[in-house]
Amino acid sequence: MVDYLWNTQSPLQKALVPGRHGAAGAHVGVTLNEVRDIVLVQVMARRGKAADAAKAAKKLFGIEAPATPKAVTGKTATLIWSGPDQFTVIAPRTDEASQLAAMVQVFAGSASLSDQSDGRCLIRVSGPRGRDAIAKFSSLDLHDLAFPVGAAANTSVDHTAVNLWREANGADGHPVYNMLVFTSFADSLWHTVVDSSLEYGVEAASARAA
Amino acid sequence: MSGYSGSEPLGRTAALEGTTPSARSQAASASQSHRLRSGGLIDRQQPLQFSFDGKVMSGFAGDTLASALVANGVKLVARSFKYHRPRGIITAGSEEPSALVEMRSGARKEPNTRATTQELYDGLVAQSQNRWPSLRRDFMSINQLAAPIFVAGFYYKTFMWPAKFWEKVYEPLIRRAAGLGKSAELPDPDHYDKAWAHCDVLVIGGGAAGLAAALAAGRAGSRVILVEEDSRLGGRLLSDGGEIDGMHAEEWVRRTVDELASLANVRIMVRTALFGVYDGGVYAALERVNDHVPLPGPHQVRQRVWRIVAKRSVVTAGAIERPVVFPGNDRPGVMMASAVRTYVHRFAAMPGRKVALFTNNDDGWRTVEAVQQAGGDIAAVIDPRGKVPAEYQALAELSDLRVFSGGVSDVKGGVDGVRGVVVTDNNGRTQQIDADCLAVSGGWNPNVGLSCFHRGRPVWRDDIAAFVPGDSPKGMTTAGAANGEFSLGACLRDGHTAGAAAAAECGASGNAGEASEAGDEVYAISPLWQVKAKGKAFVDFQHDVTASDVTLAQREGFESVEHLKRYTTLGMATDQGKTSNITGLAIMAEATGRTIPQTGTTIYRPPYAPVAIGALAGHHRDENFHAWRLTPSHHWAAARGAVFVDTGLWKRAQWYPQPGEKDWIESVTREVLAVRNGVGFCDVSTLGKVDVRGADAGTFLDRVYINAFSSLAVGKARYGLMLREDGIVMDDGTTSRIAEDHYFLTTTTAKAGPVMAHLEFCRQVLWPELDVQLSSASDQWAQFSIAGPNTRKLLQELVDPSEDMSNEGFPFMGAREVKLRGGVTARLFRISFSGEIAFEISVPARYGGAMAQNLMIAGRDLGVTPYGTEALGVMRIEKGHVAGPELNGTTTADDLGLGKMMSKKKDFIGRVMAGREALTAPDRQVVVGIKPLDQKRRLRSGAHVVPKGAIPGPETDQGYVTSVCYSPMMEQWIGLGLVERGRERFGEIVRIHDPLRSEDYEAEICNPVFYDPEGARQRG
Amino acid sequence: MRIACPFCGERENGEFTYLGDASPKRPNFAVDSGESPEGVEDAFYDYVYLRDNVAGYMREYWYHGGGCRSWLIAERNTVTHEFRSVTAAPGVGAAKPVQAGE
Repeated sequence: MVDYLWNTQSPLQKALVPGRHGAAGAHVGVTLNEVRDIVLVQVMARRGKAADAAKAAKKLFGIEAPATPKAVTGKTATLIWSGPDQFTVIAPRTDEASQLAAMVQVFAGSASLSDQSDGRCLIRVSGPRGRDAIAKFSSLDLHDLAFPVGAAANTSVDHTAVNLWREANGADGHPVYNMLVFTSFADSLWHTVVDSSLEYGVEAASARAA
Repeated sequence: MSGYSGSEPLGRTAALEGTTPSARSQAASASQSHRLRSGGLIDRQQPLQFSFDGKVMSGFAGDTLASALVANGVKLVARSFKYHRPRGIITAGSEEPSALVEMRSGARKEPNTRATTQELYDGLVAQSQNRWPSLRRDFMSINQLAAPIFVAGFYYKTFMWPAKFWEKVYEPLIRRAAGLGKSAELPDPDHYDKAWAHCDVLVIGGGAAGLAAALAAGRAGSRVILVEEDSRLGGRLLSDGGEIDGMHAEEWVRRTVDELASLANVRIMVRTALFGVYDGGVYAALERVNDHVPLPGPHQVRQRVWRIVAKRSVVTAGAIERPVVFPGNDRPGVMMASAVRTYVHRFAAMPGRKVALFTNNDDGWRTVEAVQQAGGDIAAVIDPRGKVPAEYQALAELSDLRVFSGGVSDVKGGVDGVRGVVVTDNNGRTQQIDADCLAVSGGWNPNVGLSCFHRGRPVWRDDIAAFVPGDSPKGMTTAGAANGEFSLGACLRDGHTAGAAAAAECGASGNAGEASEAGDEVYAISPLWQVKAKGKAFVDFQHDVTASDVTLAQREGFESVEHLKRYTTLGMATDQGKTSNITGLAIMAEATGRTIPQTGTTIYRPPYAPVAIGALAGHHRDENFHAWRLTPSHHWAAARGAVFVDTGLWKRAQWYPQPGEKDWIESVTREVLAVRNGVGFCDVSTLGKVDVRGADAGTFLDRVYINAFSSLAVGKARYGLMLREDGIVMDDGTTSRIAEDHYFLTTTTAKAGPVMAHLEFCRQVLWPELDVQLSSASDQWAQFSIAGPNTRKLLQELVDPSEDMSNEGFPFMGAREVKLRGGVTARLFRISFSGEIAFEISVPARYGGAMAQNLMIAGRDLGVTPYGTEALGVMRIEKGHVAGPELNGTTTADDLGLGKMMSKKKDFIGRVMAGREALTAPDRQVVVGIKPLDQKRRLRSGAHVVPKGAIPGPETDQGYVTSVCYSPMMEQWIGLGLVERGRERFGEIVRIHDPLRSEDYEAEICNPVFYDPEGARQRG
Repeated sequence: MRIACPFCGERENGEFTYLGDASPKRPNFAVDSGESPEGVEDAFYDYVYLRDNVAGYMREYWYHGGGCRSWLIAERNTVTHEFRSVTAAPGVGAAKPVQAGE
């Protein structure tokens, strides 16, 4: 009997070439990271059960689920608003089956879950010119006043739905933005992000979620 | 005192590609004969070499191409559009109608570039346009002799008859003669991009008023963006100087710019021209990022289009000086008075040694002092008002000025420019004055274009004889000269007030400070649009529209300004009539006896200035024209040499060519036979997939599908058809019930997005009482169709031995999770598109490549064959399954042969309207099979179906061929078609008429299910 | 054009798609007998086809498909493109409407 290997793949397997790209020089303007191995679940409150779903989220993750476009980070997961009465749970993949099972149990009766762990690709944009690069493909106002740490948005890039949120500033003091893009669009959007960043100098890498 | 510097040595001689050392030395000696010895905002430490029409010259950093040409004594720079008249530089700004040149060469060649806005760089290469063989000796200037026939409406009158001449003779003739420059014929090698910017207050124009507005809004604490099309802030202050807050204007500009730059909430964007105002406070601007350097640096763009979202905007775009219409007003050397001052003061370049000034207003008189201070002579001042303005009386006496009360009635000269000016005084006496430059000021037109882009109509002001903004777009105010405030003091106050108010309206609470102070010089004007005398007098320099064209249009009944514009092409050139529109309509007003405001203006529309299509496209060209989607097995397929096809945004494997196959039909035929005789697989992940959950999911699906889904058992799949509310088919697909409250719905590839929007509409708008949640799962799953008689054998290799894969254990239309060997769980659906035993298997997308690999391993001994979308299409046609070409937005369920699926027991979208008489008529075109009688003949989609023996035409047309393929099973070309009463006509011979391909042949109408009509194979 | 989504805030119109007049209500059509209720065809004909050509404010459906996937009802001036209000459709999110069919 043959052994069937189930190697996993990233949608950026060809597009992401680790290392320096674009403008040369000592400074990297934009740092791009693919964050791999995530568990991603869309949580949609059942009709009339938004309060119950929020309670369940609090119980499981210890944080208030976002009721407005925000990203809230707890010990085990980040909850990102993804529409009225719905949010996306994102967590590093540890024991996928039990992570999912815990959610199924706690949200039973209050929310429908949709596993999107393979349906999205997470791209992180940071560095001193990250915001300038994003301005080339996103119509969002990312000014500190308009989009502070913890802000989130469902928006479009290249006519494609993207969830974008801002986490705590990086060690360099510059903003860090996360983009969840549809898996099938990831190759295309990665090119868009890289092309938008080349003039500032790019460092690209991929890493496991932590 | 300054003087000319013809012998001043150049600091360095940079090499120009392709020029000889002798050419360079010649350039150095001949160069800059009209450059002032000192002054100007140029960097004399940075000499730059450039060439115009092959002649090498030099200038300095800070020059525009126009100012460098002026400094080099060049007057002739262009030939006009229609008459090929010699033309020079008229303005010093973006309104330039005349000095258009072809920039750069080869693939980067760009025609119609305004020399007045093109910054000089070392090695710049420009050519004049619209002349042959040379600018000085232009063969087409013969057109001037034929001028009487080139009048307004020439094309309409001349190229009328005979009609058949139009396409073959007239159009090519006109196209050859038309246009100014020639564009590059190679793909543009430069890059462009687009970006968004956001602010509270957008200040448009960085002159005195704009700087004051930006400073007030910036100090108040609002987020400010200041855009300026020039490379430098300051506007007219750079040309006219003045005193502000007790300091020299240039010093005030420097301090103000420094303060603005120090404010974190202010963003200054120079070389950025605002060209559009759109709804909701969205503005578009073009940044010329790298047009001022030889080539963009690595990874740099040439130009960038900005979309700026602003809560408020302040238009401080200044005013445009307008010409006066008189014979010879287009001679090289006739220049706007303000442009003369700009060249002298800002660029230290002298447009002429003996300057005559023709002005009808006080502002024009500034030119006297500017020219004299630069060491030039004022040959005469011609002012129809008959009196020296009070402010200038002392100066006039001191310098013993010759002042004429009258107008310029002709300009003498040739290709080398003005030699003399003929003055006719108010008593009708005529006199010629020697001059090599004529400075003209007909007054100023506030730049109202941006404020009128939302159909706002400007308002006439008699005191300044000009239009000022009327109803501006919401959130926009206008200040300074753009608002008709022409004194420096008023500009500063107006700008400050507008900036502070805009900031306050955006909630900024900081202290906007005090307005800067300057004098309020008098601007008195007595309107003069035209000096009537014999000779060609131009209104629109770029389109060669003369005063007599305007009056001719009036005589021929084209009195409305919109008709005037189209009949004469006044204002329709690349400059959009910035210097000509108002003058043209003033002449029309006089001709019709109406006032100027009664005559009105044409509608203003974006873009305010020309924008390259490449800049509008930005990143979205070539392979980035639109986003693309890749299937989970894309890279696996690519490694196997698959040929990909674009289906919507998706790239799908179309077929997998094998060595030795001579064409695609051979590859596809092999793939079909491999499936029909063995087993094959195809990535079908592109199908739209929707998780439908909630207590009412079944009821919900009952209402969106024509057939029932609440009755579907868990673990089963069912084919479903959706209608639009008007009764026409929207989409189809297979939907499975995963759990009591969970369905997995699939859509066609093309309709995934629209169906999702439709389902959300049903959920959120139509039936909000239902407990249903929807999420797109399209990208979560890698889905493969596995088909062929050996499918079960292959799957038995792949699935865990504990799974019952028998016909009874996994019956037709079964759907459930299975464990695969190696520890992955998959969803398996027993559904068939090919008519064979078939399953669709889904695994999380991360296993897409591994799945394809493992299917190859599991089916190795069975000769498993990956197949592409073509083979998929062939097999669905052989089985008569409908797809996109049949679900084409005109067909009903019954047309597709699926009428029996329509439930009569429930309401569903489209049910009532599907019952309408026309949608149930017996003579509707319905899906049938079609096969040519000649078995060698290739059937083509789109061919018409008419009765045998009938003459093809609208009366006899009975339908058309929708889908075709070469069928390996039937061993001939077959197709599906939509044919009137088709199901009653199986066996009938019809005529297939294909005028597009000039084909005509006979075919038989047949059952659309060509292969295995009983359906035994898929259930086996 | 900018549209203020009640959930996401002001966004550029590329994120939205337009459906049209939000005034017509889909006739409720519950079938038990298999027979069409009286007048149902006329009611559907009106619902599907009959529209006022409004110059001024009208209520319209807009779908924030490039954002939060909410169906919105906007009051927009068809002459000036000004929006007076943008509100959520009754069944957006998990909201439980008091009455079926709005």
